[in-house]
Amino acid sequence: MQRQIQTVVVLGASGTVGSLSGGILAQNGLNVYYLSRTKEGSQKGLNRAIKQARSEAIASRITCGDYDTLFEKACSEADWILECVAEDMAVKKAMYEKVDAIRRKNAIVSSVTSSLPLEELPKERSDSFRANFLSTHFYNPPGKMLACEVTGQSQTDPALVDFMIEFLGQRLRRVVIPVKPAAAFAGNRLAFLLFARITELVRQFGVEMMDYLIGPYTGRLLPPLATIDLVGLDIHKAILLSLQNYTQDAMHNKLVIPAYIDSMIAAGRLGNKTRANGGFFKKLDSGQFLYYDPASENYIPGFGPHIQFVEKAKNQIRIGLYRQAFEGILQASGTEARVVHEILATYIAYAYSLIGQVTDEKYGIEGIDKVMSSGFHWACPSLLVNMIGGAERAVELVQSADLAVPQTLRTDTTWEKYYFNAGKYFIAG
Amino acid sequence: MSTNVFLLGGFQTDFARNWAREKKHISAMIRETYEGSLECTKIKPADIRAAFVGNFAAELYCMQGHLGAFFVELDPAFKGLPTCRYEAACASSGVAALSAMAHIQAGLYDCIAVVGVEQMKNVDSAKGGDFLGTAAWYERESKGVEFPFPKLFGKLGDEYDKRYGLKAEHLARIAEINYANARRNPNAQTRDWYMSYDHACGTGQYNPAISGRIKVTDCSQVTDGAAIIYMASEKFAADYANRCGISLDALPRVLGWGNTTAPIEFAVKVDDSQNDPYILPWTRKAITDAMQRAGLNSCWQLSAIETHDCFTTSEYMAIDHFGLTEPGKSWQAVEAGIIAPGGRLPINPSGGLIGCGHPVGATGVRQLLDAYKQTAGTAGDYQIPNAKRVATLNLGGSATTNVVFIIGFDR
Repeated sequence: MQRQIQTVVVLGASGTVGSLSGGILAQNGLNVYYLSRTKEGSQKGLNRAIKQARSEAIASRITCGDYDTLFEKACSEADWILECVAEDMAVKKAMYEKVDAIRRKNAIVSSVTSSLPLEELPKERSDSFRANFLSTHFYNPPGKMLACEVTGQSQTDPALVDFMIEFLGQRLRRVVIPVKPAAAFAGNRLAFLLFARITELVRQFGVEMMDYLIGPYTGRLLPPLATIDLVGLDIHKAILLSLQNYTQDAMHNKLVIPAYIDSMIAAGRLGNKTRANGGFFKKLDSGQFLYYDPASENYIPGFGPHIQFVEKAKNQIRIGLYRQAFEGILQASGTEARVVHEILATYIAYAYSLIGQVTDEKYGIEGIDKVMSSGFHWACPSLLVNMIGGAERAVELVQSADLAVPQTLRTDTTWEKYYFNAGKYFIAG
Repeated sequence: MSTNVFLLGGFQTDFARNWAREKKHISAMIRETYEGSLECTKIKPADIRAAFVGNFAAELYCMQGHLGAFFVELDPAFKGLPTCRYEAACASSGVAALSAMAHIQAGLYDCIAVVGVEQMKNVDSAKGGDFLGTAAWYERESKGVEFPFPKLFGKLGDEYDKRYGLKAEHLARIAEINYANARRNPNAQTRDWYMSYDHACGTGQYNPAISGRIKVTDCSQVTDGAAIIYMASEKFAADYANRCGISLDALPRVLGWGNTTAPIEFAVKVDDSQNDPYILPWTRKAITDAMQRAGLNSCWQLSAIETHDCFTTSEYMAIDHFGLTEPGKSWQAVEAGIIAPGGRLPINPSGGLIGCGHPVGATGVRQLLDAYKQTAGTAGDYQIPNAKRVATLNLGGSATTNVVFIIGFDR
């Protein structure tokens, strides 16, 4: 079957993910309907898309409306219906029922979800719906994070998955990662396990120290707890619950949600979306940052951590000596160094252990590499292996952290390649 | 050319990077560029006999001068290496490459690393605009002017309009082509940005006028970046080719060059050209000198041009000054699609300064590197099929310093 996509409906276009993903479609020449509960909501989404594109010109490709007045016309015309509604199984299923009644037989339906079980979502729908249903998991914000994980469920036409991989890559300029339909796919599965472990370590070391130790110098745009504040603690918890419920692997016991996280959520301390209440961080009007203290359940001033091996690494990164920086990190000893070693080791070990579980074995570490660099702007696992001196040293690091060594870490040779512009992942701050 | 000078390739950084946000020192940029180039070219540190660094204003942007010395920091083997920093505004690394060529032709060195580097995103746009103003006659043309160069190159458009007529739609099409080309270049700053002809034609919050007819979409980018190219004598190139298992004939070389310096004030340039069909005759002379030295009698013997589109008006100027049209009729080449990929003479397949980016002191070498890639057939998705000869035009100031190279093969 010859497929073509020219008209797309975005359901849930008032939200950040829907509006910005829809904006990428319009930027690349597609005609897009923005639908949400109210036309005003869709219009807000359009404004967000214009801001992302930095151009009012894309408005000519976007038609805004609400579910009551434009749903039928839009869904009956659509080649692709992109569902970005709330991460709630019942809400999504209700929406699919309405879509199924109107959509053209070959219209593609995709969800941006990564945390709900993909197999379950289209279960009551028509055969043609299920054959044309898949997940297209855009990372946020899609204007900067180009990763898009793609997978079908058991009834999805395999040719459709191939078509979307091609379309998303060529037409929409996404970095496409074909994944398996396992909860949280590749990127969130790996990142949120690390986040979980770091939130556990917060009880011992505090918020400020953990973000200092696992700061951007270790190969990430944002420190981990600042990233959770950006995502929202409620979302963080929801993803971890999904991972607890729907995954099973050797590191399952690290998927912890410390009790203080529940206290923070109950107190409305969700992160950047509740700025007045704070999250892990709270910014005062004066510009000063306070840090959440799990023991007192209150915010405390920072003390400005200064640890020699961290500062030395940052100084080397500042002048482009990346490998030397990691050599110093590995050589460092003491409690704080052990924390950094453990997180690096967990990242590497878990990433390599997920080969074959979240991505096809034939991709080796490359699929996971792509989603971490293009979805999170983290130094990808194989780059870290390269930076610390190769697979043998990575194995030593993993063993020193009392973690199981995945066989793939010993056999995958991706780390041996030259990483051009690798420095962009290592921030000297 | 009396003595052949060959290009052995090189490397450029990803121009989308923001090195200030990475909290990096300018030396990190030089280091990553150098290390990337070793991987790309298989040049060894011991091969390098001298290093010339083109940079416009690191003293202003980074509080750091003496950039040649930072090449020595790259490898213990470089202690004692002759190095030098070159400055000619936006043509800084263009003149560094000219000097490297002359040193090789004089028999002083066999293989020279020519680096271009600029870090610009560590200051706000007003301060950056003021720093760039020093590329003009600061006291007369820049002092107290918020964005002096958009104003000066806006005046270039005004002069075209006065003498020949100039439509905004043609400038918009130039911008659109450069952005579209950049989408195929994995190192281009704007490769993931949105652009359309409608956007370039429009004005509004996201495409305001900067100065006169110059809007945001008419401007090149504020860019952090570096590039390196290796230039070598025939003897060294022959050994290198042998080492790489390729024929010397497969290595592009400098076929021709031109270098002129016009009066620094833009108004003087324009006054001087009142009786000349070309608005910037010294730019025209640099081009014709290069063509003559290359033994070419027509621009149509070129496969592509990498020109200095610091603004759409400067590319508009390059079109007639290279001879694609009669003077004042550059719009004909724009309308006919001649300068677009697949056209008779594509301009800026890399995206140019508007699409690929413009780290001021790095641009001349970046252009040479792209000329190398095109003629060596390694430009990837933005390759011009069977490119044999590519011209580069690197301007410093308001077309004050003009550096032209023609790179490729004479067969």
